[in-house]
Amino acid sequence: MSEKKILIIDDDQHLVLGLTARLRANGYKVISAADAISAITVARKEAPDLVILDLGLPAGDGFVVLERMRSLADLATTPVIVLSARDPAANDRRAMDAGAVAFFQKPPDNHEFLTAIRLALGETIALSTFLKT
Amino acid sequence: MSSEASVRVNSEYLLSASPTHSSRGTGLVDESSNIELSPQLRSDLLDLDAWSEILTTYGRTIRVAVALTDSNGRQLGECQNAQPVWRLIHEGLSGMGAGCPFCITRGLPCTAVAEALHTGNPAIARDQAGLTHVAVPLLLGKQRLGAIIAGQVFDRYPEPLSLRRVAKEFGVSARRLWELAREQRPVSSTVLQASGELLGVLGHAFLRQRYGAILEAKLAETNGSFRSLIEGVRDYALFTMDPTGSVTSWNRGAERMLGYVEADIVGRNFSCTFTPEDIQNRLPEKQLRKALRTGHSEDEGWRVRENRKQFWASVNITALLENAGPIRGFAIVMHDATEQRKVANILEEARQARARLQENFLSHVSHELRTPLTAIYFFTTNVLDGLLGDLTPEQREHLSLALENVKQLKDMVSDLLDITRVETHKLTVEPQHASSAKLIAEALATCRTNAAAKNISLRSEAAPGLPFVWADPARVRQILINLIDNGIKFTPAGGTITVESRRFAEDDGFLCLSVSDTGCGISPENRELVFDRLAQVKSTAEASRSGLGLGLFISRELVLRHDGRIWVESQLGQGSTFYFTLPVFSLAKLCAHVFTSANLEAGSVTLIAVDVVAVEGGVQADILFEIRRVLERCIHAFKDVLLPSMSDVEPVVTFFIVACGPSGFEVIASRIVRELQNFDNASRLKPVISSTTLLVPHGHPREEQIDEITARIERLVQAHLLGKERLK
Repeated sequence: MSEKKILIIDDDQHLVLGLTARLRANGYKVISAADAISAITVARKEAPDLVILDLGLPAGDGFVVLERMRSLADLATTPVIVLSARDPAANDRRAMDAGAVAFFQKPPDNHEFLTAIRLALGETIALSTFLKT
Repeated sequence: MSSEASVRVNSEYLLSASPTHSSRGTGLVDESSNIELSPQLRSDLLDLDAWSEILTTYGRTIRVAVALTDSNGRQLGECQNAQPVWRLIHEGLSGMGAGCPFCITRGLPCTAVAEALHTGNPAIARDQAGLTHVAVPLLLGKQRLGAIIAGQVFDRYPEPLSLRRVAKEFGVSARRLWELAREQRPVSSTVLQASGELLGVLGHAFLRQRYGAILEAKLAETNGSFRSLIEGVRDYALFTMDPTGSVTSWNRGAERMLGYVEADIVGRNFSCTFTPEDIQNRLPEKQLRKALRTGHSEDEGWRVRENRKQFWASVNITALLENAGPIRGFAIVMHDATEQRKVANILEEARQARARLQENFLSHVSHELRTPLTAIYFFTTNVLDGLLGDLTPEQREHLSLALENVKQLKDMVSDLLDITRVETHKLTVEPQHASSAKLIAEALATCRTNAAAKNISLRSEAAPGLPFVWADPARVRQILINLIDNGIKFTPAGGTITVESRRFAEDDGFLCLSVSDTGCGISPENRELVFDRLAQVKSTAEASRSGLGLGLFISRELVLRHDGRIWVESQLGQGSTFYFTLPVFSLAKLCAHVFTSANLEAGSVTLIAVDVVAVEGGVQADILFEIRRVLERCIHAFKDVLLPSMSDVEPVVTFFIVACGPSGFEVIASRIVRELQNFDNASRLKPVISSTTLLVPHGHPREEQIDEITARIERLVQAHLLGKERLK
């Protein structure tokens, strides 16, 4: 199975560095973008299998990115997991309605977060694994 | 005078004590029998001015002397129509002293009045001169007021010898006495007895009339002062109503507050002071019914003035009962609380604004804190998990501690946000079908590392066969973790923390979860305080640095939002047990909003099962989530319920839909099939749709019928889940 590619869209370079190490260790190829505009450019060029998206971004917030992705044929079906410091009570439902597959508040639990990534990438996971989280 | 003679003389005083009682039995004001008459009322009742006319008239008609005495036999005022013989004797006397006023001769006091008051019947006495009188008691119920004495007459032709003796005794002319005595017409004791009875009847009739008059005067006086008191109250509307709610009196305050003048409002129903919506909701009747049932009813709400303007009123209705008997009417006290409400609203708005500001600030702070925290978390876990190479035991230990601190910091940030949500009323729970045993196991797993670090053992006990709870799993875990962490904090090394779940003895609609520790315990004065905001019983240096002291406060708020209770039992030095209750999952509660009369009148309820069977390797959780969303779209929110998936037994997950109305199954099933066709992963799943329809008896469905339908659905669901009896 070829390496799956994950795009992290976040302006916090430390987070990108830390998360990249974790994802690489789990066998994924990782690329990143630090603002809303370059995010779309990178996404169209690299065609990632999954996007991890922050909501507070320079040059437009994460919802703008999500909407733009859904409007572009080549990115419309790419799964997006939102990883944000924002309050889930106010943003969880909104992110799902905008087309995200999951919402995580920072900092996420590594195990839960990786399970969600695997699910979003269509890797089969036993229900029991999910129910444990 | 010898004592022997006295006895003889005394015996002569009492001629007869009639057994008849015609002077009583006048049905006189029975209610007065048990009340103590005040001295004032007694003297008012025997007021001479009032009595003189009847006494004089009687005396002149019957030709006897008449006088009134008090209950001790003392004469009150003058003797009316005094007879000649008696007058002659009395002219030479400067006062008779304490003896009977109608007896001429001295000796032992005449006991006729005492006798009459004692027996309640007229008593006749004759003195040594041969003059006779009758004492008629005046009784008000059982109260002895006094007596009327009538007489000073000879009951037979006067005896010259006796009269000469009397004349000698009192130093008056015997001849003159004899002449006067012959002028007095004798009255036989039988006639005197009859006259006495007549006098009794007359006297009591008059007494009764007088008593009524006095009470009436007093009542008028009280009413007058009460009325002027009520009239004087200007800041409160005070009015009375008859049992139907028609206004019977209306004070000036009511006029000022509500605009109606007394003449216009009396006779109208008080509902005219209510808003049209309240009238439509039958609030006026409801309030009167409540006042009738409980004695009074209190309410705050909008009321309407005559000019249609509304004001915020605080209203108190009192039922006026006649000696706990039938209702006489209602009294209303109404206060215009519009200004108070305005001030309270402004204060509340200010409080809310401050809370919102605080929330915005804290949510900003929390956001800003979370970003660096996330970086620290990733770096720490990356190193700890060996992504960057192996670690020495010491490095591992230090990093583990760093990770603990990151988690603590994370919890504190979450707590800060929760606490502002409490104030802005945004702390919400999303209840679902959950197993308390599973939630406890998950919470214990989270706390295991912390407990192990302090060498504290964690135990859990769950009574077998416990029902599911209806609670927000994340929030229940949060409560349990708060309580367990708290226990760990205050329990010395080697201690034990036990988490239990059982039925709540006081209410079988709840489970009771408890977390017990073997720690230092909480003193009685701190037991309530521990749930307060920022409360922390400072006891150890370690405890004071971990946490903001918000955990128990938030836990209490979360439990309250589940309609549960939280409390602590503790003994200093022997540990504490925190208890909280959670509602038991109830199909009836879940279905309550669709099991309305209108929905059930449609005649049937359909239970639809959607079994999702995985082809291989289990069911994917995201697909379950998707299916749930699809199903949510397929139902009618007002008529149908999607039950929470109640089984986590693989490889089948079942969703149940309870649908009201005849079209239920076909419509919903075809919708589900159509929606699932558009669903990408449908090909990998085999949703099997089955159903059973329950008929609802015709007519208006009653509560027992709804209970029965719920119970049957519950049985069908369980049977289906256990594979005993699948729906078809």
